Amino acid sequence: MFSPRARAAGVAAALTLVTAACGAAPGTQRTGQTSPGGVNAATATSAADFGGLDKLVEAAKKEGTLHVIALPPDWANYGEIIEKFQAKYGIKIESETPDASSADEINAVKTRKGQDRAPDVLDLGQSFALSGAGEGLFAPYKVQGFDRIPEGQKEPTGLWVNDYGGYVSIGCDAKKITTCPTSYKDLLKPEYKGKVAMNGNPTKAGSAFAGVYAAALANGGSFDDIQPGIDFFKKLKDAGNYNPVETTPATIEKGETQISIDWDYNNAAYAPQMAGKGIDWKVNVPTDGKYFQMYAQAINKDAPHPAAARLWQEYLYSAEGQNLFLKGFARPVLLPAMTADGTVDKALAGKLPQVEGEPTFPTSRQVDAAKAKLAGGWDAAISG
Amino acid sequence: MVALTGLEPAAPTAPAAPAARARVWRGVVFLLAALYFLVPLGASLWYTLYTPAAGVSFAPYGELLAAEGFARSLLLSLGLAAATIAVVLLLALPAMLAVRLFAPRLRPVMEVLCTLPLVVPPITFVAGLATSLRAGTDVLAPTPFWATIIAVQDPGFPVVLVLAYVVLVLPFVYRSLDAGLRTMDVRTLVEAARNLGASWPYVLLRVVVPNLRPALASASFLTLALVLGEYTVASLLGYQPFAVWIVTVSGSRGQLSVAVSILSLLIIWLLLLAVSTVFGRERKS
Amino acid sequence: MSRPRSSGRSGGWLGALPLLVFFALVFGVPAVALVAGAFTAQGRPSLDNLALSLRGGYLTALLGSVKLSAVVALSGAVLGTFLAHAVVTSRFRLLREAVLTASGVLANFGGVPLAFFWIATLGNSGVVSGPAGLPSGALYTFWGLAVVYLYFSIPLMVLVMAPALDGLRPQWREAAANSGATAWHYWRYVALPVLAPAMLGGVVLLFGSAFSAYATANAMVGTVVPLVTLKIAAALTGDVLIGYENIALALSLDMIVVAGLVMAVYLPLQRRTSRWLH
Repeated sequence: MFSPRARAAGVAAALTLVTAACGAAPGTQRTGQTSPGGVNAATATSAADFGGLDKLVEAAKKEGTLHVIALPPDWANYGEIIEKFQAKYGIKIESETPDASSADEINAVKTRKGQDRAPDVLDLGQSFALSGAGEGLFAPYKVQGFDRIPEGQKEPTGLWVNDYGGYVSIGCDAKKITTCPTSYKDLLKPEYKGKVAMNGNPTKAGSAFAGVYAAALANGGSFDDIQPGIDFFKKLKDAGNYNPVETTPATIEKGETQISIDWDYNNAAYAPQMAGKGIDWKVNVPTDGKYFQMYAQAINKDAPHPAAARLWQEYLYSAEGQNLFLKGFARPVLLPAMTADGTVDKALAGKLPQVEGEPTFPTSRQVDAAKAKLAGGWDAAISG
Repeated sequence: MVALTGLEPAAPTAPAAPAARARVWRGVVFLLAALYFLVPLGASLWYTLYTPAAGVSFAPYGELLAAEGFARSLLLSLGLAAATIAVVLLLALPAMLAVRLFAPRLRPVMEVLCTLPLVVPPITFVAGLATSLRAGTDVLAPTPFWATIIAVQDPGFPVVLVLAYVVLVLPFVYRSLDAGLRTMDVRTLVEAARNLGASWPYVLLRVVVPNLRPALASASFLTLALVLGEYTVASLLGYQPFAVWIVTVSGSRGQLSVAVSILSLLIIWLLLLAVSTVFGRERKS
Repeated sequence: MSRPRSSGRSGGWLGALPLLVFFALVFGVPAVALVAGAFTAQGRPSLDNLALSLRGGYLTALLGSVKLSAVVALSGAVLGTFLAHAVVTSRFRLLREAVLTASGVLANFGGVPLAFFWIATLGNSGVVSGPAGLPSGALYTFWGLAVVYLYFSIPLMVLVMAPALDGLRPQWREAAANSGATAWHYWRYVALPVLAPAMLGGVVLLFGSAFSAYATANAMVGTVVPLVTLKIAAALTGDVLIGYENIALALSLDMIVVAGLVMAVYLPLQRRTSRWLH
């Protein structure tokens, strides 16, 4: 078909192309980077392994970069945390796909194993942290304040540690709505027709799932029984109050989602943002359904920048880091400990949405069962 | 008013009425289409421009154009688009020609193959792709192809994205080329050229392609638009071409995030217009 | 020198080979991974996922998707053909260029921005909803979503039909008019049969495109309209479900089977309508 010369040229070109990107994998396993003291950062389980926090800082600065994923700037004040970390240590942070989900983070770790693009640290929902630890994706690391973190909020060897959390709350546009709802019962009132939205749908978005769980608690259910929550939202939909749009700053500004069920730190973070647009956004933790959940931090076992990853952990669990979470209206895991020893920023703590009583937590088995029930029953309830 | 005597031939008036009617009909169609497509665009545009506090302002748009990474991500997307267009046309055109001319029995196979990527949601495709890359990296570790699989995922120019985009765009390119090949009588033209002694490359380049110009252009525009607007595959694989970058940079600020999508629509449209005028699409007479 | 005809058959395979190899590698391998995952439950080969995926909520979602895609494909095809015809027969070259390139852009438009466009227009606080007196939540229904999906379906159809309509030679119209045919006759007996194969192809394209869309529905109607892609997305990427990945892969397999059924109807129709053209 083609002249012999053309054919030969084509073959030569193809061979060049192929051999240009050829080469077997480096034979040995990734041994990890060793700092001048001969410490293997990838297997260090605490700052002591480095020879002290200063040596850790040194090793991290040598690496120079940190790769994070799924950290939106206005989620628990991560924007400022990233900025302050970069300024303090001079380590450049590459923040990838801020709106990625926990499942995306786990997939990124699995798919990019051995590549420089892999994420170093992860901020995951509780169940994902548990399953990821079970799959051996994380590296154990105990931050300096590890012992002050309450027992149920961490994995004993430090594979994952809770960092901050919040209550399910009801945000409300006080200018467009005369009386803001303060409980789940309120939401059923006819004056809220077409106005009650969530941050996505409960089979996909963590805060929406929490919203249904809290609704269950408010309507006679329990951690074992999420069905009353599903029934509540069915009632909400039948009353015409449910708005299926996923709340975003744009939809709030446009006036579409005037009431939004979301984590209290998200709703509270909207308030100053919306004030500039002339919207008075109020946050209320529902009096009848209180559900509190925390997110967890983990270090990728094959992190391309292991020392920087560990320094990030140290920063987040230092008083400075935890107070920055507080500034984002999230409740940091060390809040009780910091309130006791006075390192907490009292002004910021005072700005948190008011809640009474102490939270109780479901076991992971209860949560898994609830999720399965939701996956099976939500569609039928809401689309019927 | 001059009265009709009835002696005027009917023919001259007959073409005028249908033509006028056709014009009115076209006008109605355009008006409805304009309403349907432009009103939502306008509503969102108004939202990005107007704040009760600050009045009308073009600030979001200026912010986007000045943001860091605009040129880098746009150039990356353009490069990916160019590569995708080249690869997909090089693969699809000879295949379709060959099937049409020599192996009509392969036609259903082609149809199915070229519609399959359409019904696999991008999320599933990426899930499969990611699993394959993972397994491939493990399996190929001792072979020379390991570096190839890593190079293909290089963030500087991710060839893996080009490969994925070629698959995603194949259904549309196939339809375009199919419609184009249908309107030109390929068989006769090719036979005539071959009988006159033309070699296959000559036939391909100088007989088929010029006649297919509108279809090729249409296919290229579709590819360009798809690659520039593609978000899911690129973000799940962890790259930052234009569409992913604009979502990252707009963060969660309402007006900015809507403004970036409008601006990206505008940019892509202008690019397509530029390409189309430069390459001068001929109107079939 | 013309080559002997016997090279014709092999020429067909040879020409198609690069595409087939490429497809096998870049689509086939992920597809195999997909099938393998779909048939695995708890680490063992099993048909459980497939069985589950065809029951209860999943089945409703699959049927809902099929219904929505069919409605969007058929209405988009008709409306798109009208628009394409108007564009192609217009006298202003600039208008034609502008509309065709705009169609290229809009055919790939979707996701959250598209949802916002329509929330801003027909949502509960939309600019048009008030004056038009729309009942609350009218956009967040099956038909509302169909209207939104047309936003990328009509441009796609325009792009498919424009080259085909270009192929309608004006001489045919004149010949028909001279033989005394009305416009209706021309369309029914001359133009539509010529356009039929392209139209059918367009319908299939629109169906597939609407079938696999998800981000717009996710941002706008959540699960109020049951769609299979929402279920797949919730299982594969999200903050709630863990361990449902294989069911998602089984659902994707179901989607491919549905596509196969559509093709099984489309291919013979295609052959029939284009038979006389060759």
